[in-house]
Amino acid sequence: MSGPLDALRTRLADARGPHYWRALEELVEQPAWCARLSEAFPQLSQLEPQLGRRGFLKLLGASLALAGLGACSRPPQEEIVPWVRRPDQLPPALPRFYASTLACAGDVAGVLVETHQGRPTKIEGNPAHPTSLGATTPAMQAAVLELWDPDRSQAPVHKGVASSWDAFGDEVRTLATRFAADGRGLHVLSGRLDSPTLAVQREAWLKRFPGARWHAYEAVDEDNALAGARLAFGEPLRARYRFDRAQVVLALEADFLGAMLGALRHGRDFIGGRDPQAGAFSRLYVMEASPTLTGAKADHRWALGSAHIGMAALELGELLGVPGVHATQSSGLSTRRLRALAQDLDAQHGSSLVLAGRTQPAWVHALAHLLNEALGNVGHTVEYYAPPEPWTSSAQGLRELTAAMADGQVDTLLILDGNPVYATPADAQFAAHLAKVPRRIHLGLYRDETARACQWHLPRTHALEAWSDLRAADGTASAVQPVIAPLYDCRSEHELLALFLGDLQSPRARVQGTWQVDEAAWRAILQNGVIPHSAPPAQPPRVDRGFLEQVTMPEDAPGLELLFAPDPTVWDGRYANNGWLQECPKPLTTLTWSNVALVSPELALAHELKNGDALELRIDGRHTQAPVWVMPGQAARSVTVYLGYGRRHAGRVGGQLGFDAYALRSTDAPWRSDGLRINRTGAQLALATTQRHHAMEGREPVRTSTLEAFRADPAFAQEHAQPPPSLYPDRLHGEYAWGMSVDLNACIGCGACTVACQAENNIPVVGAEEVERGREMHWIRIDRYYEGDARAPRIHHQPVPCMHCEHAPCEVVCPVGATVHDAEGLNVQVYNRCVGTRFCSNNCPYKVRRFNFLQYSDLHTETLKAQRNPDVSVRNRGVMEKCTYCIQRIQTAHIAADREGRRIADGEVLTACQAVCPTQAIVFGDQQDPASAVSRQKASPRHYTLLEELNTRPRTTYLAAIRNPHPALEDDA
Amino acid sequence: MTQIFHPRFGLFVKLALLAVLVLASAAVLAWRGLTNEPHRIGEAVEQPVPFSHKHHVGDDGIDCRYCHDTVETSAFAGMPPISTCMTCHSQLYTDQAVLKPVVESWERGVALHWQRVHQLPDFVYFNHSIHVAKGVGCESCHGRVDRMPLTMRTKSLSMEWCLDCHRAPQKYLRPREQEFAMGWQADDQQKLGLALIKRYHIDTRRLTDCSVCHR
Repeated sequence: MSGPLDALRTRLADARGPHYWRALEELVEQPAWCARLSEAFPQLSQLEPQLGRRGFLKLLGASLALAGLGACSRPPQEEIVPWVRRPDQLPPALPRFYASTLACAGDVAGVLVETHQGRPTKIEGNPAHPTSLGATTPAMQAAVLELWDPDRSQAPVHKGVASSWDAFGDEVRTLATRFAADGRGLHVLSGRLDSPTLAVQREAWLKRFPGARWHAYEAVDEDNALAGARLAFGEPLRARYRFDRAQVVLALEADFLGAMLGALRHGRDFIGGRDPQAGAFSRLYVMEASPTLTGAKADHRWALGSAHIGMAALELGELLGVPGVHATQSSGLSTRRLRALAQDLDAQHGSSLVLAGRTQPAWVHALAHLLNEALGNVGHTVEYYAPPEPWTSSAQGLRELTAAMADGQVDTLLILDGNPVYATPADAQFAAHLAKVPRRIHLGLYRDETARACQWHLPRTHALEAWSDLRAADGTASAVQPVIAPLYDCRSEHELLALFLGDLQSPRARVQGTWQVDEAAWRAILQNGVIPHSAPPAQPPRVDRGFLEQVTMPEDAPGLELLFAPDPTVWDGRYANNGWLQECPKPLTTLTWSNVALVSPELALAHELKNGDALELRIDGRHTQAPVWVMPGQAARSVTVYLGYGRRHAGRVGGQLGFDAYALRSTDAPWRSDGLRINRTGAQLALATTQRHHAMEGREPVRTSTLEAFRADPAFAQEHAQPPPSLYPDRLHGEYAWGMSVDLNACIGCGACTVACQAENNIPVVGAEEVERGREMHWIRIDRYYEGDARAPRIHHQPVPCMHCEHAPCEVVCPVGATVHDAEGLNVQVYNRCVGTRFCSNNCPYKVRRFNFLQYSDLHTETLKAQRNPDVSVRNRGVMEKCTYCIQRIQTAHIAADREGRRIADGEVLTACQAVCPTQAIVFGDQQDPASAVSRQKASPRHYTLLEELNTRPRTTYLAAIRNPHPALEDDA
Repeated sequence: MTQIFHPRFGLFVKLALLAVLVLASAAVLAWRGLTNEPHRIGEAVEQPVPFSHKHHVGDDGIDCRYCHDTVETSAFAGMPPISTCMTCHSQLYTDQAVLKPVVESWERGVALHWQRVHQLPDFVYFNHSIHVAKGVGCESCHGRVDRMPLTMRTKSLSMEWCLDCHRAPQKYLRPREQEFAMGWQADDQQKLGLALIKRYHIDTRRLTDCSVCHR
């Protein structure tokens, strides 16, 4: 990438109007890249395997012979095995939904688990749960795959040999006598205490063993928020944000739409306040070092080094005239920007909001609380509550435990569901200290790194197999109920603790006991999924300004800063063995199957770095090698690494991927360190990214405008008032005309739709190598476009499923009639007719068809068979597939309605992507009915059709995105 | 010039051609034999218990829905649990040898494995409830089960056979009251069928859409 910035500057100087690009290489027009981009099928440039003529002929002959032989089998004789006694009277073939709660990637939300004949197959959000409102995160969608993961630990292991819970019971009795006196030397390491029942058991534990110690460690911690609350209020209060009431939001490296707790609810509330047709439209300012989903949605995103964000907040406080706030250093943010921001916040007194992210130091959190108080937001856009469960510092917990282990004070360590051998900072030297502990017991889902370092490994039940309860980010508690008996011989953490405590209650009674409710109330809780009145009341705390005296500015170091971030899909590494999450393209980078070190275009230019270059990262004597990713919009001197990769014993899916960023992390500065040194090694690492796949040739696929311009010209996105004439005959219309509308103004690009679609439609995982060839199978992809300057680009997301064109180009080229229209306007793919010519895919201008180049679906692993949706065919090699608008859901609704002789109601059919969307960006329904939600969406002036000039008349259409920049900063967004 | 081939070669050529023909037909026959369905039309399927529809339906007159109880509500007609058998057979013929597997299954709680008689490919999504709701009688697909001592398939269940009805349902529809009757005949099927299409709101425009059966 020689001189990309110079090239870029000249190129941008010539460009007029919005210009969208997807990869830096595209922007600077590298010849090699352009050649690849112009190919309709870049993957075909590399046939697999690399063949010579002889090899090819051999394979051809063999495949002909084998194809003939392979056809020689009769359909298998199936058996019907009815119940001896049917448990209840519901028809066995109908799916049932159970309300439960999941804690995934740190976030807690209520869910409805769909089961088919007792098998959990799909997760939906629980509309009655306040942090879900019907939506879920990608990790929650993938929880069913985790349940059925064949690599899950299946029986207790003692010193590497298979053992049993009975044998462990003997060990427990020995330990109980050993610690009968006071429990000194008995240590427990747990994750964050999200479960009220676990908190009760912790109390009981510390009462029973008074000398015992309980440590809580979470790799992705909220320590800064905790310390910030202590600084500001003197007590650990948690914030509850009300984005629906906020007119101006300032996020100080707070990814409240992505990695922050409660993101699902935040997304719904925030997007709810941004309807361009309604009166009010909020404005979002984001200061961050590394682009996040929140930054992509911002009206003003200012890339600042992580250390400078606090200074900018101080400068802002001074401008706002908050007593006691003085900026001692300049953040480098222009006065013009700061003034505009201050004026905006001031004008929206009581309906603005300032929030700080987990990577910002404690005093920035305290400052955010102070600014909210000064702006009159407390009680309106932000509330504070005291969490009922103990909220302790994660770093402190780890430090105390490692110190005790180093001193030989720990006799027995019980690790409740965590992987500290992998997921702790390198300088904690956890593995080395752990080896000094005489008795080590690990409870976990997998036989991971920590399990292998312990004498006892005990298999844990999955969240869908056990009783528990969880408290969400807003304080609401809800029940966790099992939807299937444990697949293996495993126990929950509650049961393990009960074993030590001699608590003989049933797991259900134990959780019910925590809430002290009678049977009727408990049944209602299980049915609704929410425990009523469990959210703690809001408090009106006062901010103690004393912390301002102690604000320590970091030295303005000339070097690079190293930032850490949880991986957007595999989080701290716990989902490494989950193929759906590995293959879901990570938001913004569109990377799969690996983590990277993000560098800014400026830094890449200075060090002559390009994507995939191996980079040696060194900091305070710790070092590792990481592949580079040049991230447009990254702060110039910040390098961000993602946690969660480099697992050594993750399982068959997650092993040997990416690099271990914990090797660079330190306990004292888990999120940010100064003094990073980088060095190019000359090696190249392969990265599986989807950002250049499925190109639409720069035809303005996304359309955006500013609020002001939209109000002046609402129909800016529309091209033609009437569809141009067509040679194709108009189709016969059925009783319904299914259509979809995607609101780009609401889409935040989280990728939940992609994973939900994968779960619903039995979409296989193909692996990193196949993704590199452009063969990923996702039926709905999120295209990410950049606009403008590579140093501060605007970022747009666009979900692209099948368009279900009324004049579908794919249909006319299929030689066997495997893709045809049905009466209700669906472009259907008939797998049993498809012979795999791929003509349809070639002729599809939207590039939404996916081909099974190899046998991607695993037809042999028993547990994976049980995961699949029985209403959708499992596709084999050689078959084309694509989005069906969840035809199985349409047909289910059709049959239910036809049976009763009524019409399908609007909203009765929810596609999987629509149901999961946290911001309700996707609307589906009958577009023939003018009253339906989808018709109302399509009547919007922002409505436009993708590649309208091709006259394919798609049923999937889009609503243009609107931004709301500050009028004074219009040219500086 | 001498002949290249001896006259006797003609015989060899004929024999060789015959051999090719025999081999080819043997291959076709072998392929047919290997790939056809497990049970032919009209071939009684062996079951763990020789259950007789003739006896239960023909002689005793038990309604189809007594055992196949989810046929009106779900895709699957429902195979009765053993408890359904035991409603009668805890009292009747308890000592008969043919019933031994049923009694044992009941006592030991081990399920019986019945052989499926009507089997569709996995990419076909057949739903009993909608067919019953729209006036398709049991007999139209399953034949005269009241005359079957052992259950057998009487229809091909091929896609062509499905489409025969989906293209022109009037040829087969019955009033809902007669769906579970055996041997019922309309006076004027064509006229009745067309009337039933209207009465049951059958949208014939979409009956032959691929998406109706394949997902």
